[in-house]
Amino acid sequence: MEYQQPAKRLFVINLLIGMLMSILAVRLWQLQVLQGGYYLRQSEENRIRDYTLSAPRGIIYDRKGRPLVSNRPSFTVAVLPLELQDPPRVVARLASILGITPEEITHRVEANRLRLFEPVRIKRDVGAAIVTLIEENRLDLPGVVILVEPVRHYLHDKIAAHVLGYLGEIDVDDLAARRSEGYRPGDLIGKAGVERATEAVLRGIDGRMRVEVDALGRPLRILSRVPAVPGRPLALTLDLDVQRAAYDALQASGLGAGAAIAMDPRSGDILAMVSLPSYDPNQFAMGIGSTAWQAITADQRKPLLNRALGATYEPGSVFKLVTATAALDRGIVSRRTMFDAPGYFQLGQWIFRDLKAWGRIDFITGIANSVNVVFYTLGYRLGGEELANYALLMGLGEPTGIDLPGEINGIIPRPSTKEQLVGEPWYPGDAVNMSIGQGAITVTPIQVARMVTGIANGGQLVQPHVLLLTYDRDRTEHRVDPVMQRVVPYRPESLAVLQEGMRAVVDRGSGAGARIEGLPMAGKTGSAENPRGRPHAWFAGYAPLDAPRLVVVAFVEHGFRGGIAAAPVARAIFQTAFSPAVDQETGR
Amino acid sequence: MSKRLLRYLDWPLLAAMLALMAGGVLVLYSAVHNTPNPAEFVRARAVHIIIALIVLGLLAAVDYQAIARVWRSILAGTVLALLAVLVMGRTSFGAQRWIGLGPLAAFQPAELAKLALIVTLAKHIDGYKEFDSWRALVPVLAHAALPLALIARQPDLGTALVVAAILAAMLFVAQLPARMLAALGAAAATVAPLGWRLLHDYQRHRLLVFLDPSADPLGGGYALIQSKIAVGSGQFLGKGLLHGTQSLLHFIPEQHTDFIFTVVGEEFGFVGACVLLGLFALWLWRAMTIAAQAKDRLGTLMAVGVVAMVAFHLVVNVGMTVGLMPITGIPLPWVSHGGSALITMAGATGLLLSIGMRRKKILF
Repeated sequence: MEYQQPAKRLFVINLLIGMLMSILAVRLWQLQVLQGGYYLRQSEENRIRDYTLSAPRGIIYDRKGRPLVSNRPSFTVAVLPLELQDPPRVVARLASILGITPEEITHRVEANRLRLFEPVRIKRDVGAAIVTLIEENRLDLPGVVILVEPVRHYLHDKIAAHVLGYLGEIDVDDLAARRSEGYRPGDLIGKAGVERATEAVLRGIDGRMRVEVDALGRPLRILSRVPAVPGRPLALTLDLDVQRAAYDALQASGLGAGAAIAMDPRSGDILAMVSLPSYDPNQFAMGIGSTAWQAITADQRKPLLNRALGATYEPGSVFKLVTATAALDRGIVSRRTMFDAPGYFQLGQWIFRDLKAWGRIDFITGIANSVNVVFYTLGYRLGGEELANYALLMGLGEPTGIDLPGEINGIIPRPSTKEQLVGEPWYPGDAVNMSIGQGAITVTPIQVARMVTGIANGGQLVQPHVLLLTYDRDRTEHRVDPVMQRVVPYRPESLAVLQEGMRAVVDRGSGAGARIEGLPMAGKTGSAENPRGRPHAWFAGYAPLDAPRLVVVAFVEHGFRGGIAAAPVARAIFQTAFSPAVDQETGR
Repeated sequence: MSKRLLRYLDWPLLAAMLALMAGGVLVLYSAVHNTPNPAEFVRARAVHIIIALIVLGLLAAVDYQAIARVWRSILAGTVLALLAVLVMGRTSFGAQRWIGLGPLAAFQPAELAKLALIVTLAKHIDGYKEFDSWRALVPVLAHAALPLALIARQPDLGTALVVAAILAAMLFVAQLPARMLAALGAAAATVAPLGWRLLHDYQRHRLLVFLDPSADPLGGGYALIQSKIAVGSGQFLGKGLLHGTQSLLHFIPEQHTDFIFTVVGEEFGFVGACVLLGLFALWLWRAMTIAAQAKDRLGTLMAVGVVAMVAFHLVVNVGMTVGLMPITGIPLPWVSHGGSALITMAGATGLLLSIGMRRKKILF
C-alpha cells in the first residue's frame, strides 16, 4: 500500500511556523528599528552599582553581659574600577588625599580585577575631614565612592587583646580554602583569639544593594536590596572586673612581659587571661597602616604572642608540686618526714645549691619555703622517668584544649626521650635539676592553671574555656557545657599533705605576698632560672581552701622571685574576684 | 553508509545547524568574556559540540525504523532517567533538573526525553492503521502523560510545554479527526486553571510579571525590561561583537543560556537577528520538506515532532527576550550554552537526516 502524505495538515504547520516567524521579525523591527533610538538611550543611561552591605560582626560580651567588643559606623573610601576615568590622574589625586602611594591603590584595584562591579576598598575608617575633601572634589574623582561600614570596636583597648584577638583582611591561602563559605578578597576575618576561634558565629552574612545612578554617580533609586544579616553575639567567661584587675596588676609588676590567668576550677571558665606586652586590637580593625603593623610584628617583645598559652617557660619551683605528689604517692616522704637542709645537695662531683642553709625542717616547711634540698633529695630518689610520669599525669606537657587558637605543648623530658627532644643525653643530675622544675622542662601558664585546678578540686581536670554562651539569630542562648577531661588519680592522703603545704606557702612561706586576710588560700611560688636573663617569677594558687572557686596563675618574665614579683599580681586578682561587688554568681 | 544514502543527505539542513552552532560559540564568548574564566565556557562548549556531532552522526547513520522498533525500551529508559532526577537530582533555581554523570558533570534527562518521546510517540501512533478513534488516542495520550508528568514534577514547566506542543503537532499530522482535536483543545483549556495551582510560586510570579513587568521592576520584571533594552538598543546594525553594554552589566540573568538572544540582538542588531531567524527558517523549511517526502508515516511523524520541538523553542525563547512571551527557561536551540540541550538538538537533526536519506525516490 502506497503511503499517502498528510499534505494539507503539513501545509497548515508550515503556515503556522511562517506566521510565528513573521511575528518575531516584525517585533524585532519594531524594537530595534522603530524604537531602537529610545532603547539605545535607555542602555546608555543604564548605570547600575552593586554595593555590598557589610554585615556587622556579632557583639562580644563578658560573663555579666557587659560589651567587650562592638561595632561602630565608619567611612571607607573605595573605588569603582569600571567608572574610573583617566585612572592615573584620579589615582594620584586620591592618593594625595589619603596620604598613601598611588601604587598601593593601583595594586588593590588590580587584586580585585575580577569583581568589576563592586567597590574596591582603598582605606577603611577615614575621618570626616577626608570624606569632606572627597565630596568637595567629587567632579575630579569619578569612580571614587564613600561607603558606610561597621568597624570593629574593642571597648577596652589592650586589656583583653589576646583573648579577643583581632581582624585582618583575609589572606590568599584562607581565601582559597574558604571561598565556598562566601569569603571574597578584601573581607575581614578573625586572625587570632576569640575573633578567630568563633569566626563562624561572629560573622554575619553580607547583604547586597543594587542602585541605579546617574552619569555623575548620584543614586537615583534602589533597584533591589538584600539586607545584611548581622553576626551572632556571644558571651565570654571573662569577668571584665577581674580581667582589668589582672591586666593592671601585671602591668604594675613593672617588667612589661608575662601572663596571668584566673579560672574557675569547677567549670573551667576563664575569668581573666592577660598577656603582656599587649596591643590595641582597634588598630587592626581600621585596616592597620603598614608602618604600625611593622612596628608590632617587628617588636622583639612579641606583643601578638599570647604568653598564657602560646609560649613555654621553665616552671621552676612550681614543679615541686609534681615532685611532692610523686614522692608522697610512692611513700618516699610523709607529712612528718624530717630533712637536713644544709644549703646544698651533693651528687658525686656535682653540687646543687640552695638559697640558704635551712637546718632541720619538716616536709611542710620544705614546701612552704620551697627548700630546694628537700626536693633534690626526693627527685634523686624518684628518678627522671617517675617525675616525667607524674608531670604528664597531673596535666603538664600536653595542650589543655582551651578554645583559643595558638596553644602549644611544652616539653617534659625523661631519660628515654631527652636526647631526641633537646639533643642532649640524660645526665644523672638531670633528675635532681628537674625536681625543682629546671633543665629542659618547659610548660605553658595555662597548663599550670589546669594542673592547680586538679589539685584544688580533688583531681578533676576540666578543660579551660573562654566561650560561655552563643546566641542564635532569635536570641536564644546556647550554653557551652564544661568539659570534664579526666580525673588525676590523686591519693587522698597525698593530696591532703600537698594542700597543707600549699596553704603554708601563703600563710608563712615564700608566697606570703599573695596573702589576703580572711581568705584561706593555697599556692606555690616559682623562680625559674633560664638562659635568657633573670629568673622568671611564678605564682600558682587557689582559694578558698575548703571549696575552691578560683585558680590564679601569675607569671612575670624575668620577675626574679615568684614571691616578690608574681604573688602580688595573684593577690590583686584574688582581691578583686572575691570583692563583694564582683563576686556575684552569674549565669551558671 | 552507502553512497545512495549520502546522495540524499540534506546539506542545507546540516549547514544551517552548523552555522547556528558556530555563531553560538561567538555570542557565547561575547556573553562571558567579562567573567573570570571565559575560556572555560568556550572549552566546555567545544566538548559539547564534539559530543553532539558524534550523536548526530550516529542517529543519521542508523535506520530510524530500527531505532523505532525498540521504542518500548527507549520509553522505559526515559521514564527511569526522569525518576532518577526526582530521586537524586541536583537543584537549581528551585527545580531539580540535573543528575550528576561523571565527566558530563550535569546532565538533564528532560532534554533527551523530548527526543525519545518524539521517536516513541511516532512509532506508537504509527502502530494504529487508522488514527481516528478514542481507542487509539487514549493509549497514546497515556504514553505521553507519564514522562510529561515527571518533567512537570521536576518542575520544568517549559520542557513540559514543549512536550505538549510536540504531542499536539504529531496528533495533528497523524490525521486525528478535527472534532477530536477540538475536544482535546477544550479539555486542555479546562484543565489549565487547575494547572495554575500546581505551579511553583516562582513560576506564577514569572507569568504575572510577564503580564505586567512594572509590577516587579526590581526582580523578574527587571530582566524582561533589561532584555528588551538590550535587544532594542542594538538598532539596525548592532553595536558590534563584544561591544554590548547590557551584557557588561550583569543584571540579565543567565545571559549565556536562556537570554543568549539578547547578545545577538544587541551586538548584531536587526540584521544579525534576521540572519539568525533566517538560518532557523532554512532549517525548519528543510525539516518540513523531509517530513513531506518521508517514505512512511513513521518518518513524517518523527520529522514533524522534531520541527515542533525546534519551532516551539525558537518562538518561546526569542519571544521571551523581545517581551512577547513569559520567562520560561527554554534555551535557544544550538546557540544557548548547555550540553544536554545541544546534544538533543543535534540528535534531532541527525534523526531528520536519517529520515531524509531514506526517503523513497521521487517520481515525477
